[in-house]
Amino acid sequence: MRIPRGALLRSRVVDDPGDVLRTVLDEELTGYVVFEPQDALLLGEATRGVVTFEEGIPVLAYDTERDRGGRDGLEGFAVTGPNRVAVHAVDSEELSDAHETTEFRVPPGEPARVLAGDERLATETTDAAPEPRREEGRDQSAVEAFLADEDAIEAIRSEARDEARARAAEWGLDDVLED
Amino acid sequence: MVEAFAVASGKGGTGKTTSTLALGMALATEYDVTVIDADTGMANLLFHAGLDDADVTLHDLLIEERDVQVEDAVYERFGMSVVPCGTSLASFEAADPARLRDVVAELAHDTDVLLLDSPAALGSKSAVLPIVLADRIVVVLQPTVPSLSDGLKVQEYAHSYGTDTAGVVFNRVRPDENVDRIAEQAGRYFGGQALASVPESDAVRAARRAGEPLLAHAPDDPAADAFREAAARLDVRDGDGRDVAERFKSAVVPDRV
Ligand SMILES: Nc1ncnc2c1ncn2[C@@H]1O[C@H](COP(=O)(O)OP(=O)(O)O)[C@@H](O)[C@H]1O
Ligand SMILES: [Mg+2]
Repeated sequence: MRIPRGALLRSRVVDDPGDVLRTVLDEELTGYVVFEPQDALLLGEATRGVVTFEEGIPVLAYDTERDRGGRDGLEGFAVTGPNRVAVHAVDSEELSDAHETTEFRVPPGEPARVLAGDERLATETTDAAPEPRREEGRDQSAVEAFLADEDAIEAIRSEARDEARARAAEWGLDDVLED
Repeated sequence: MVEAFAVASGKGGTGKTTSTLALGMALATEYDVTVIDADTGMANLLFHAGLDDADVTLHDLLIEERDVQVEDAVYERFGMSVVPCGTSLASFEAADPARLRDVVAELAHDTDVLLLDSPAALGSKSAVLPIVLADRIVVVLQPTVPSLSDGLKVQEYAHSYGTDTAGVVFNRVRPDENVDRIAEQAGRYFGGQALASVPESDAVRAARRAGEPLLAHAPDDPAADAFREAAARLDVRDGDGRDVAERFKSAVVPDRV
């Protein structure tokens, strides 16, 4: 896969791949991020991958070491924990050719889910994506994987429970219901 | 009064309003059904039920100064009693959400099944009240991760307020999707029954454009069949004999633990 080099904006080590995904979503990056999981490095394993973005929304994923793209590619460099990330900006017209490589495309929320295990960020990213791209997340295997992850589901539920209780107090709902 | 259901999803566009009217019409063959547009901030049931020009709506009942009776906002349509809500932002802002309880309690007196079309959001008191007031929720889901995740969240809110899950409807299911597997997995987390899998269907959109519920507009469509199946599976429970108003009063939000 050929991606125009673009301009290096910054290169640093983040605690978690989710950190940079959130930042580029917020700043609506058009360009790409190179991920180098540091733990894999320690094990003497060269692991490196690229995710491209259009206005902050992931488009392609590519494992540069194993030469694989798409969801498969993502899994090749999905190592949670510290990652060296190099953020590059590329002119959107220059990127659009690369973005034609449909076999390397990933649904908008997939990098957050696979690289960072961050379901909430995955949802936010999908919500922020343009309408036609939101539908791409409809991959049955992703739904099945989500439902199979009992810990992640329990996390969503317990967070919602805490939120429901806190807000009930805030809204004085008990009063409304008791009078 | 038998039971009040909130039709909820946590996310817009999953088909709550479509489902509310479809389940309502299907249940109306057996029960006296009242449908209320409790999505007071983003009301759209009126468009689905051909009530765009309704003079009096739920908003008028929620605004103290407007001197109208509950029955003025009830319209007999498609074999059900329908209480639409207006779309004016000013009315929404003037509305006192707390009055919804009294409106619901009054409507509950004269009906068997109450269906509350509920808001997509959970961020305000008016948004959560329908699930607080209902006996149980019907969760409308699409077979996608965001929809399931939001559905879990709504269910957790409902359970925190003592409202159980009656069942789950999967809506907008595409032909290539095998919802049985997903429904089976989801069943581990969602209470109640897997009620139905409703296909993505042009007839649903056509019904909406025509201002008619799906079951009136295209009763033979597979999506209509699926909604009838869902209604048949819904084990509508007999009230436990307590006075309705009493029941709503007892729907107290639990203290923080
Ligand atoms: N099974 C379905 N097939 C096709 N379109 C559907 C289906 N269910 C809902 N829709 C369409 O999706 C849109 C949102 O549905 P609606 O019932 O208004 O959702 P909600 O009340 O949850 O926001 C409407 O345009 C509706 O016609
Ligand atoms: Mg609606």
